[in-house]
This record gives sequence, C-alpha cells and structure tokens, in this order.
Amino acid sequence: MSNGLSLYSALTRLYPAEFRREFGSDLVQNFDDLSQARGPSAAWCRVALDLLVTVPRYRLESVMSTRSSSFTLLFGPIALAVAGAASILTGIVPIAGLVLVLAGVGLLGARRSNIARSLRTHTPDRNVRRQRLLISAASAVVCVVSLIGYMNYVGGDDVNGGVLLAYNAVGVPSMIAAVAFLIAGLLVPRRQTATS
Amino acid sequence: MLRPEQTPAEFLPLPPAQFHVLAALGGGEMHGYVIMEAVEELSGGLVRMGPATLYGTLKKLVERSLVVEVPGRQEPSDDARRRYYRLSGIGREVCAAEADRLAHLAARTHRNLRPGLA
Repeated sequence: MSNGLSLYSALTRLYPAEFRREFGSDLVQNFDDLSQARGPSAAWCRVALDLLVTVPRYRLESVMSTRSSSFTLLFGPIALAVAGAASILTGIVPIAGLVLVLAGVGLLGARRSNIARSLRTHTPDRNVRRQRLLISAASAVVCVVSLIGYMNYVGGDDVNGGVLLAYNAVGVPSMIAAVAFLIAGLLVPRRQTATS
Repeated sequence: MLRPEQTPAEFLPLPPAQFHVLAALGGGEMHGYVIMEAVEELSGGLVRMGPATLYGTLKKLVERSLVVEVPGRQEPSDDARRRYYRLSGIGREVCAAEADRLAHLAARTHRNLRPGLA
C-alpha cells in the first residue's frame, strides 16, 4: 500500500464507525482508482474537500441518530419537573439548579435523538403522535414549574444572577420544546396505516 | 425501507446528489468509481463527487430502496472488494419523475425569461 493510500486509509477513521465499517474499504478502493486514473494530486484535491465537508456532516448525522430508550424520553422531562419542584419546595436553589442542569443535559440528548428519529422516519409509528404530545406536556410542566420558581425567586430579597440564569436555562428550552413537540405531535395524523 | 403504498411523487424533489447518482445508474450496473465518473460526465464536469459523498449518497438511496446492491457481481479484472449497484424498479420511476419535474421547471423558466414578458 502506497503512502498516500495509507494516509487516506488512516483519515477514513475520522468517519463514524458505522459508516467506516460499511464503506471503509470502498472509500480506499475509490481513492486508489482516483489516484491511478488522475494522479495523486488530483485525487488528494478531491478527497480533501470531500473529507472537510463529509466528516462533520456524517458525524453530526451519527450523533443525531443515536438510539435513546423510551425510558429516557419519557422520564427525562418528569425528572426535570421533579427537580424543579424540589427546588421550590425545599428552597435549596443552588443544588436543585445543578440537578436541573444535569437533568436538562440528559433530556437534551433524549430529545435530540427523538427529533432525529422523527426527521428520519419514513415508516411512521402509530405511537409517534402520542409520544410527542406526551413530551410536549412534560416540557410544559417543566416550563410552568421553572416559571413559578423564577417568579418566587425574583420576589425574594436575595437575588443571585447565577440562579436566575439557571431558571432561564431550564424554562426557555422547555417552553420551546413544549411548543415544538406540540406542533410535531399535531402534524402526525391520528389514524395511520400499519406499515411493514 | 420502501413502504408498499409509496409512489414516485413522494420522493420528490430529490437532493441533487441523489438525482445525479440515480441518473448515472440509469446506464446500468456500476461500481463506485464508475458511478463517480458517470456523474462527472453527465454533469459536464460540474459535479465532482468525492468518495465519501458518493457512498453516503448510495447509502441513503439503498435505505430508500431506490438503489440495490447487486450480489455476487464481479468483472474478471475487478478487485474482489468492489460492490456493484443498480436502480430498483421504484428507483427508475423516481429518477424519471424527477427528470420530468426538472424539465417542466426548465421549460417554465425559459418561458418566464423570454423578452417581452414582465
């Protein structure tokens, strides 16, 4: 194997593992064909641009299609709501804020995969509508809880900017998610034909 | 995966890369490098796909059942690793439908651009 081919073969490791497993040898074969037919310079010109464009794109697609369990999807928003409620009831705002942020990060991952799945789904699932509306409802609960917490906190004597930021960091995304999932859920027809 | 009730119109409009690959495969069974060359030739040298763009596009087309991999197809001179692809039945219909759509669009555009029409 020539140096150029070895280098390109090493660079293909930048692609997601699934893509590399499926097409790794084809990519190298293709580069070899290009080099032989048009010379190494032309081959490198073409694959350099290709790498720049496709590596981030396929990486992103790979992240967006990460499988996430229904458990996370359903219980992530609930955990976030419970954490928000706890922050109000106990008054331990900084710790609860941290919990909220951690729960939010987990929720973001779950939602991201859900959005990806809904974008990629060519065979609609009959439960998709219900699932989206459920996530919308849970997000709305999170939003309301964080809004109440925010209002209570702002009304108090000792106001800390970091805590306000934490409330906003939870409230605004959950509000957006509630609206987005509501729209996405309503866009799914009520009755769908079963598909194979 | 193709749903039984899917029609060619449901696939339109096709992303340009997918249409170019389908159009190239209209010429018969091909492996990756030949598809790449055919796309370049079809587009008059304007579209030059890189290997990852090509295989990413082929992956999507196979997932949408517009293209199928040809099992066991090897030319005597070929490396054993080469994989051949061809249009599926629905792939051929979708390619034709997209070509019609673009032709219609081009005709409308030419009409709109004719002098004297404001």
